[in-house]
Formats: sequence, structure tokens, C-alpha cells
Amino acid sequence: MSDDSDAASSRRRFLAAASTVGVASVAGCNGLLGGNTTSGEGTGTESGSNEGGTASSSDGGGTVGQIGSGRSPFGDRQLSGGVSMSEMPDLSGELTLYSGRGEALVGELISFIEDLYPDFTVRPRYNSAADLVNQIQTEGQNSPADAFFSVNAGALGALKDAGRTVELPQEVLDMVRAEFHDPDGQWVGTSGRARTVPYNTDTFSESDIPDDIFAFPDTEAFEGSIGWAPTYSSFQAFITAMRVLNGEEETRAWLEGMQELGVQEFSDEFLVSQAVADGEIDAGFANHYYIQRVLAGRPNAPIATAFTEGDAGAIFNVAGALVLDTAEDRTLASNFVRHLLSAEAQDYFARTTFEYPLVPGVDPIGELPSIDELNPPQGLDLTQLSDLEGTVRLLRDTGVL
Amino acid sequence: MATDQGTTPETADDPLPLGLTVAAAGVAAAVLLPLVWLFRTALGVGTTEAVALLARPTTLEVFVNSALLVAGVTGASILLGVPLAYLTVRTDLPFARFWTVVVSLPLVIPSYIGAFAFVSAFGPRGAFQRLLAPLGVESLPEIYGFHGAVLVLTLYTYPYVYITTRAALKSLDTTLIDAARTLRHDRREAFRHVTLPHIRPAVAAGALLVALYTLSDFGTPAIMQFDAFTRVIYVEFNAFGRDTATLLSLQLVGLTVFILALESKVSGDERTAAGGRSSDVVPLGRWKLPALCLCAGVAGLALVVPLGILLTWLGDTSGIGQGLAFRAEYALNSVGVSAAAALVATLAGLPVAYLAAKRDSIVGTLAERATYVGYAVPGVVLGLALVFLGTTVATPIYQTTFLLVFAYVVRFLPQAVGSLRASFLRVDPALPEAARTLGRTPVGAFRSVTLPLVAPGLLGGAALVFLTTMKELPATLLLRPSGFKTLVVHIWTAYASGYFGQAAVPALILLGVSGLSMLVILSQEGYDVR
Repeated sequence: MSDDSDAASSRRRFLAAASTVGVASVAGCNGLLGGNTTSGEGTGTESGSNEGGTASSSDGGGTVGQIGSGRSPFGDRQLSGGVSMSEMPDLSGELTLYSGRGEALVGELISFIEDLYPDFTVRPRYNSAADLVNQIQTEGQNSPADAFFSVNAGALGALKDAGRTVELPQEVLDMVRAEFHDPDGQWVGTSGRARTVPYNTDTFSESDIPDDIFAFPDTEAFEGSIGWAPTYSSFQAFITAMRVLNGEEETRAWLEGMQELGVQEFSDEFLVSQAVADGEIDAGFANHYYIQRVLAGRPNAPIATAFTEGDAGAIFNVAGALVLDTAEDRTLASNFVRHLLSAEAQDYFARTTFEYPLVPGVDPIGELPSIDELNPPQGLDLTQLSDLEGTVRLLRDTGVL
Repeated sequence: MATDQGTTPETADDPLPLGLTVAAAGVAAAVLLPLVWLFRTALGVGTTEAVALLARPTTLEVFVNSALLVAGVTGASILLGVPLAYLTVRTDLPFARFWTVVVSLPLVIPSYIGAFAFVSAFGPRGAFQRLLAPLGVESLPEIYGFHGAVLVLTLYTYPYVYITTRAALKSLDTTLIDAARTLRHDRREAFRHVTLPHIRPAVAAGALLVALYTLSDFGTPAIMQFDAFTRVIYVEFNAFGRDTATLLSLQLVGLTVFILALESKVSGDERTAAGGRSSDVVPLGRWKLPALCLCAGVAGLALVVPLGILLTWLGDTSGIGQGLAFRAEYALNSVGVSAAAALVATLAGLPVAYLAAKRDSIVGTLAERATYVGYAVPGVVLGLALVFLGTTVATPIYQTTFLLVFAYVVRFLPQAVGSLRASFLRVDPALPEAARTLGRTPVGAFRSVTLPLVAPGLLGGAALVFLTTMKELPATLLLRPSGFKTLVVHIWTAYASGYFGQAAVPALILLGVSGLSMLVILSQEGYDVR
């Protein structure tokens, strides 16, 4: 993205797109998934070699091997990019997956992968990412966990810092751009989440929202009617990014300014977005998909997405996965992580969780600019976002927490 | 204990106490075991950092906040629970049976669901405001903060005070009141001199459960945006500050011990009552309508608000939530582990309660107090402690239902112990002694005389454990076997992902099943009054 006005116009174009696309596609998955479970076995056994290859041609309606001219197994759309699961190594054996991503959001994908292979069993364990990190650390070397699937880079970084991770194979890391995996190869991003400013369209138009995060405390229009969720991990990652990019003092001043503005507190960012849609507040800070989820339930809700430009307010964080040092079969675990980067899985994230696919060629869905149209800050290493302790301390000092 | 005068030398020599003492001490040790992890992890923090953390102004502030919250909720629960108990037991309140059930029912609603419902209903632009908007209501009084937290926690915990007080009132011998009145005391004085001393231990026991629940609950303060201890612990755990979080948890344990000591002082001497004769009913007269309004108001607020919100969730089709379809298995899992927890807690509670009630034994008293500590530790802290124990010393049962049930017993044992202890106190010591003189062994006398007499209290305590286990979330999330889902886990899964519609059905089933066990509690206590 080179030009601001270009960005704005393309964004407007996306915002004008029909908001019901996501809902319709989610509703469509059930039937197609049923078809896949019966035919998946055949497609799973044929492969292993062709890493990084583009498209295998179709071998029948709705199977998982269909990429290129094929359709997504998770709904009605053409898949044009990425590597199909059929071109990945087979999975066999048992895998204990600690998932910090909700069963409601990823359960279907995980059982889909499990059902592809006759000798493969996943034992998923769902909880919040932070709880699972604490659990893995408390379990120590007796942890039954093989792989960890997280909603944010911070939880992945925390396990890396605790020395509990092993390096992923290069071909897995290479599937995403360098900024979306750990520089030391300890974790890989699987889908992206942009920081955004949800705003109420009855009160504001997009141009009313400042594109500089540091302009917010001085914007009188937000007085008493802007919301945040300071106990929420994505919010803390955003403040961590601000500390990294702008330093402690500027971050402190921003936090104090927001409090003087009468910012309202919520316990999570879905509630922030709901409150914006309800008109309880006029704007807020939230991850991009919460807005999409509100719209999925209420297509006519007066809520839309705005972005800041190139600062902490626009960081692009990732959900991701890693293999633990306690994994019984590290090859199986890293091959499972590889499946999360398959064309099918990436398409699934786009359509079910409204996230950004990270593998080039798989596009997001809904009222969203594409990943290349986003304007995140330059030079931010996502691994640095695991330093939440300093952030919590600052939030305490300023009385936010 | 005031009952030792009834002990004959013969029973004092019984072999029973030694076995009992060992059993009670064993139970106490088992429930305190998880604390070992807390101390171990907290020690890892390092002294200078620990002192700095504990001396921080914010730490002090949340300490004060927590203390205020506990005092507020406990006080309000007594102010609500005692009058309601008096009204439904001692007066001619119309439909007393109906109100007895209805004002007990808030206990079946998890406080975090209650808190969420209140925020949804009474928050700015919430359901209630939208309802009133056509009448020109622009804004409602602020629901967030201290008073909101007190309101919600009180509404969902006062039944502890209500239930214990009600049981005590039922066993009150009203001939004493008649005697007091013949001495020209008016009703108020009779209440003060006869009824109050009689119910005081029961009120204190209920208030203790309320206070410790308030201390350990973090869902409600978090949702009501009030900075209590638990919320700070939660933030630390979320920022991967495990050491700091455990250090703060130890402070919480300290506060617990303080409250336990305080309660011991307040409850004072307990007397055994050999069953009440309750014929006299206090006519309400012109107070009838206000009394009815109180019952209806409390029940309306505590029950109608969450039910209303859950019903609107039922109509929420926004999330399709793949793989979130409700399965009957979740309800069976919930009932299964809850019943197991109730059974084990009752069995484990028997020696502790018996010893605490019947013998002037230090071990009995200490064991009884010790059972309360686990109850006041937040579920997530206890859960992590058991994760540690499970992966180091109890590997075979880690992530099995055995460890899960153990966690529930550690958390909710005091509910069984409290109920059992009260029942033991009500057994006239002359009865088992009579059986002994007729040649029964101590164990035989216990089984044929004492046990039948305490059976209702036993069942009531078990039902209370069952009920609270059904609602437990944080320890369940950490300790359940992979793939094992209960009703609350399913509710959490749906709610945390924003698929509210999928949370409504399991929540309503949870309330239904818990409601049934509430009926058991109410039908069992007060057995001595027909």
C-alpha cells in the first residue's frame, strides 16, 4: 500500500460490500462437510511429496483435494491459492492439542482434519489461551500436550520464553510471510487479526475517526462515549505494541488522556462492539472480526470498521500454533500445524471466524480490506508482544486496571 | 462445645474417637494439600519482589476493596436472608410454601450468569432501558461498580443465610417464646432474647459461606467492573504472571483465615435443641402486603432478570456456532460428577462434622475450619494447584474425573460439613447413649440411632454440594478430561465465542436440574417439625 487515498477508496469499496456473505457461507457448510467425511479418506492417502505446489485438479464434487478450480469444503466459494491438505503429509497417531481458540470457532476444522485420516485422533482441550499457558507451565515436563493453538502471539511468545517450544520445520514456516512467524521458528501464525476502531454509523462517518491513534485523547467527539476492554489480551497486546513503538512515556500519556476523556470499560471486545452497535457508546477499540460477528447476527446494525494508519492502533496480530517440547511425536505435531496452513484451513478461518488468512492467495471475507491494503506499523516484531507484564504494570500505574 | 456434659465415661473410652480423629485429620490434610503448590510457587517470587508487590498502593487498595465487598455482601445477605426466613417459617405469610421455594431458587443461578444478565438488562442501553425508552427514560442508574457487585452477589448468595436460618427457626422450640411472653416481653424482646440467640450460629454459618464465596468469586467483580482481589489475580494469570498471581492468592488465603476466626467468635456457644415444637404463628396483620412485596421483589429481581435474558438468548440466531449443538451427554456428565462430588463430600464430611459437633476436640475444630480454606480459594487457583499435584504425584488420575471430583470436594466440602454439623448438634446425646446401655456397640448405636436422625441434614448437605458443583466453572475447565463437557463448560464455550443463542438451552437445563436439587434441600431440613 503506497498511497493513503488509494487505501481509503479501496476500503470504502469493501465496506460497501454486502455484509451477509459471511452468514450465508457459514450456513452452507453443514451439508458439504458431511460429503467430505466420506470421501476424505481417499484424498488423504495420496500425497506427501508436492510441497508448495499450487493446484491439484479436481477428483470429484466437494472433496478436500479440490484446489485451484475447486471449491472450499467449508462453503460456497472458489479456492484459488494455497496448498491443499491432500498435498500434505498424512497424519497418523494421537495428538493432544491444547486449544486457546474456542471450540465453537475451530472445533469443526479440527474434526475435519481428524476425519480425513483413518489412523489419526485429536484429543482437543479447549480453554482460554492464558489458562492453557499457565496449565502447560504448571504441568512441566509431565504435560500431555503435543501442540498449542493460540488466539494471539503473546501466548505463543510466553511459551517460547519459558523454553517450552521446539523449532518448526522450515517448509512450514515458509508458508507464511516472515513477519507472521517467530524469527527463531518457534511458532507460526495461522490467521490474522487487525486492530480496528468500531464506530457507530448513526453518529460518525468514517472520516470523523482520526487515522492517528494519538489523536484520540484530544478528540472531543469521543468524550464519554468511547469504550475499551483493558483486561482483554488483544487490548493488552495493542498497548504493548504502543510501548514498543512509542515508548513508555507516550503510552502513559495516551492512557491518561483516554481516561480523562471518560473512556468506558468492558470485559471483552465483543461487548465493546455490541455496545457500539447498540449506541451505548459511539466508538471503541476492538479486533476486526468482532464487528463482523456483530454484523453476522444483525446485518443492519449501525456499526462499521475504521483503521488508524501505521501505528499501534493498527497492529496486525496473529493467531498461531506451536509444537511443545513435551510432544510425543514432534513430526506428527508439526504436520498438524502445517494442516492449519492448508488452503482449506485458511479458507475456513476467512469464512467462519472472519479472520485474515495468512497464506498468500486466500482472501478474507466480509466488509474487510485485503491484507495488503492494511496499514500496520512498520518494524514491529510480534514476538515482542509477549511482554504483557510491563503493560499490566503500566495499566495499573495509570489506574486503568 | 456445650454438649460434653452428656458424655458418659463409657463413651469417652470408645475406640471411635481415635479412628474418627484420624479420619477427620486425613480429610483436612487432603483438602489443604493443594495449598502446598501455592506456597511453593509464591516462594519462587523472591522476597524483595514479594514485599514490593504486597506493599504496592494498588495491592492495598484491592485488599480494602475486597474487604468492603465481603462486608457489604455479607451484611446485605443477612438483612435479606433472616427476615425472609422469619417470614416463611414463623408468620402467617400467604403461600408460605411457594415463597420458601421461590426465594431459595436464586442459589441455582451461577452468579456470573446473574451478573451478565444484570449488565444486559440494566446496563446503559440495556434491555430494560430500551423497554422504558418510549416512556422517555433516557438513562438508568449506573449498574457497574461497587453497588452493582454487591447487588448481584447478594441476590445470588443470600439463600445460604436464608436456608441455614430457616432450618434453625424450624427447630426453635416456641414454648420458649411463649414463656418469654408470659414474662411480659413483647414480640420484639422475645425475638431478641429467645429467637436471636437460637438462630445466631446458623446465621453465622450461612454468612460465612456468603463471605467466602464473595471472596473467591471473580466472574461477578469482573463483569461488574469492580477491582476486587480476584480480578487482580485474574489479570495477572492472563498476563502469564503466575508467580504474582499465586502470591496474591496467598494473601487471599490470609484474609480467609481472618474471616474464619471472626466467624468462630461470632457464632459463639451453640446449643443442642431437641427438636422444636412450633405451633405458634405470628400474625402479620397490616405487614402482610409489605412482606409479600419483599418476597416477590427479591424473587423477581433475582430470577426474572436472568430468565428473561436467557429467553431472549433463545431467540438469538446470530451465531450458527458449528459443532455447538447441545448434547444430552453434557447434562449427564454434569449430573454424574456432581452426584459423585456430593457423595464423596458427604462421606468425607461425616467424621469432620461429627467430631466438630460432638467432641471437645482441637482436631475436630481445626479440621472443620480447614475445610473452609479450599472454598475461599478461587477456582482457577485451586485448579492450577491440582494440575500441579496431578502431574507430579497423581499422574494416573490427572485429567480424569477422579481428580475433577476431588477438586469439587476440596471446594465445596464445607457446605456438607456445615449442614451435617448442625444436624449432629440437634441430636439429643441421650438417645445414642440409651442404645449403648441396651448393648449396642458405639458403631451400632451410631448407625441405628444417630445416622437416621442426621439423615435429613446429610441429604441436605449433599444436595447443596451437588447444586454448587453443577455451577462450578474455572476448576472444571482446567481439570476435566479432554473432550469431557459439562453444562457449564458448554455454556462457557458458547458464551465466550459470542454464540449466546447456543448458551441458552444448557443454561435453562442447568437451572432446571439445580432447581430440583433445591427442592430436595427444602424438603429435608426441618424434619423435626411436621
